[in-house]
Amino acid sequence: MAEPTAVNLSSADKDRFVEDAAPLLDPLYSAALRMTRNPADAEDLVQDTMLRAYRSFDRFEPGTNLKAWLFRIMTNAYINIYRKRQREPQQISQEEVEDFDLYQELKSHDPQWEATPENIVLDRLLDADIVSAIEDLPEQFRFAVILSDVEGFTYAEMAEIMDVPMGTVMSRLHRGRKALQKRLLQLARERGIVKDQSKQQPTT
Amino acid sequence: MKEHCRQILQEASLFMDREQLSPTERAHIQQHLEECKPCYERYGLETQATALISRLRGHDPCPDKLRSQIGDLLRSI
Repeated sequence: MAEPTAVNLSSADKDRFVEDAAPLLDPLYSAALRMTRNPADAEDLVQDTMLRAYRSFDRFEPGTNLKAWLFRIMTNAYINIYRKRQREPQQISQEEVEDFDLYQELKSHDPQWEATPENIVLDRLLDADIVSAIEDLPEQFRFAVILSDVEGFTYAEMAEIMDVPMGTVMSRLHRGRKALQKRLLQLARERGIVKDQSKQQPTT
Repeated sequence: MKEHCRQILQEASLFMDREQLSPTERAHIQQHLEECKPCYERYGLETQATALISRLRGHDPCPDKLRSQIGDLLRSI
């Protein structure tokens, strides 16, 4: 946890930070929860992020994206402090992920299956399933998916936040989504939303 | 999956993610998706799966206690 030392901000800047950052506490906390996977660490991480941001707010360029700036600070804080405490989920091998094809999986179990709106299967999963699938992802994939698909950051913003080149952003996002789809399909099968091949009923 | 299809689907992800594409690139993707049913369906699934994740937006708001704790902390320094 960063120590609360005096900040070098005018009172107008202090007010502006508090006012502008307040609505961003919701996405920050939600992402912190997905990153740390527990509320106590998420609270520490958000508080630490806000302190760090407040102390360096004089270096924030007005008119640029405050949300992306705060997420960058939070990602760094997470890497520097909290990651050491975390147990990492089992790593997914790259090959295993690259090969996963949700379409092929669904089609191979039912050749008649078509991706029509009536056939949307995964959206019958619970929010808790989606949370657990995301939290099972290896860290780099998890961050990419949260930043893009939950928070709606662009590739360029994600490159800034994660401090990696755009190509790395795209590859992490691609692999993260594949890994997530694989896990979601597995959960859908466990829930009986998608029939398992072994239990498949003959189609009429 | 054909290499060409794989490439188109990669570009289609950029389209899905609202990244910048030229009108020519967009037309190229669109034309392929109209002609290749598996790609059309794969793209549809990708869109659905991604939309599913966006359900978590705003799912866990910042607890009020944390919000006021942070406010107090910032005001104190």
